[in-house]
Amino acid sequence: MKTTLKNVLVTGASTPVGERVIRRLLNDSRVHRILAVTTHNAPLAIPENERLTSIPVDLRRSRRVHSLLFGPARAMEINVVVHTAMEPSATKEGSSVHAYNVEALRSIMSLSERHPSVRRLVIRSAAEVYQIQNNLPVLIEEDHILNMSRRAPQWVRDRVEADLTACARMGLSPLQIVVMRMAETLAPGTGSQMFDYLQSPVCFRPAGYDPMLNFLTLEDTAAALQRAIHNEEQGVFNIPGADTLPLSACIRKWGRIGVPSPDGVITPLYRIRNRLTGHDFRYGMNRRRFHYSCVLDGSRAARVLGYIPAHPILWPTD
Amino acid sequence: MPFPPSLAKSLAAAMLPADQFQRLEELYFQDAGHGYDAFGMHPAFIALGQAISDPLYRRYFRVISQGHEHLPASGPAVVAGNHSGNIPLDGMMIWADVLRKTQPPRVVRAIADHFVPSLPWVGTLFARSGMVGGSRGNARTLLEAGEMLLIFPEGTPGIVKPFAKRYQLQKFRIGHAELAIRHGAPIVPVGVIGAEEQLPQLLVSRRLGKPLGVPEVPIPAVPFPLPVRYRIYYGPPIPVHEDYTPDQADDPAILKEAAQRVQQAVDALLKQGLADRGGRIFA
Repeated sequence: MKTTLKNVLVTGASTPVGERVIRRLLNDSRVHRILAVTTHNAPLAIPENERLTSIPVDLRRSRRVHSLLFGPARAMEINVVVHTAMEPSATKEGSSVHAYNVEALRSIMSLSERHPSVRRLVIRSAAEVYQIQNNLPVLIEEDHILNMSRRAPQWVRDRVEADLTACARMGLSPLQIVVMRMAETLAPGTGSQMFDYLQSPVCFRPAGYDPMLNFLTLEDTAAALQRAIHNEEQGVFNIPGADTLPLSACIRKWGRIGVPSPDGVITPLYRIRNRLTGHDFRYGMNRRRFHYSCVLDGSRAARVLGYIPAHPILWPTD
Repeated sequence: MPFPPSLAKSLAAAMLPADQFQRLEELYFQDAGHGYDAFGMHPAFIALGQAISDPLYRRYFRVISQGHEHLPASGPAVVAGNHSGNIPLDGMMIWADVLRKTQPPRVVRAIADHFVPSLPWVGTLFARSGMVGGSRGNARTLLEAGEMLLIFPEGTPGIVKPFAKRYQLQKFRIGHAELAIRHGAPIVPVGVIGAEEQLPQLLVSRRLGKPLGVPEVPIPAVPFPLPVRYRIYYGPPIPVHEDYTPDQADDPAILKEAAQRVQQAVDALLKQGLADRGGRIFA
């Protein structure tokens, strides 16, 4: 591993994940300067200093992305881009969301390829890109089947498209491209469907099924991204968390009451909940993983990046 | 499961003799963080499974077994045997027998057909006791973790075969041989006598299977399994991991040859068992 100081650009810096990454990088002596890219309506919560510069950019507009990369990023000699910006809400859909989720990455990637200093692109992808079904392995490796269903919601389709967009350039691009397929980060503001699901005092789950789930903490999410920044390898990496447990245990540990119910009842119940309360959890989107176990196999990340999940979730009832 | 592991453990402690309950604390188990392994197995449910299966194992089917010294005490292995009886009680009895007869106790991880994890309650119950769905990835992960697998190479055609074909092995598939060769595991053949007569079959319905999510539903001639005596014979391990190199796991001819060796070994155990039993199906 080289010990040269890195200058890092972080997109999605005002999200909980981006903010945690920046806090870690500020304590990382191998990182010199950090360029935090926020949105206009969500400024960075961390005060700027001589190592940290924050700039609001609308990533949906390729011209703005160009100005960012060939303006401040060139001036700061950025050599690693960490792309964590993704629309967290599953209820927001449309071309503007697609532009943020997919087109922004496409712009960042093509511009970084001809950038004078950027050499490495680390992308935060999600475990939700994988297909889950009864005849597929429980422990998911990086070559697992992806969810290419046309019926999948845009939240999933965009993540699959962004992931594949990055994978398609691996080896062809002068950039080192790293795709981090991360388990669900069980924290607010991260796009966690499960976190939203657990906000109700009563959680309906499919009767007769109790699949194994895996969750990440913000700390491990940031730790994995930090390792990817400093590594020289490219490729796809599964990033599991320290918590692997059944759905019923998850509900119990969160202090909620799990009510086993038929599928036909759960779907409309959560649809009504979405409409009345504005909650984000969509049962249809999570139906398969509420039936069949799916746990990311992190052995490649452990072997290549040296990443081992070390921060378990602090469950409310523990 | 509808109840937490603590309750499962308390129930098991109440139902099992103290020495049997205590020996399960030495169980080989890879905790993924919350007491479960990544596939959903939990030691408390293993103990409860042993407690629940005990009346069937000791009183109803009065299982006798021999050759358990052939089961490796540690490391990967594939246990391959004949499948029969219309409902997988043979798998349950092998599971219970291996748990009781190995020291330290080992859980044989039964590889089930794809549809089993889709079955409500049954799929969860089986997962808690160590069963996994029949995908190549699951089997590979378990063998790499040093687990012992239970595979019925005949598959569904074995378990739903008509009564007239009892103790006639159906064609062995080759997946178990490939897994063993590729992942350096010996194959322990096992012959089960008794299960073939437990639930004589009238007919098999594919139409009934569809709504239930299973390929076929056997219609038995009796309403519940008959109290036949189970006899389980483990044969000497077939060292396919030494006889072939991992590269040869891609050679169809080698796999066929290895699967035939296993089939012949299981067949020999069945013949031995039938000769020992004679006409005493229930005794």
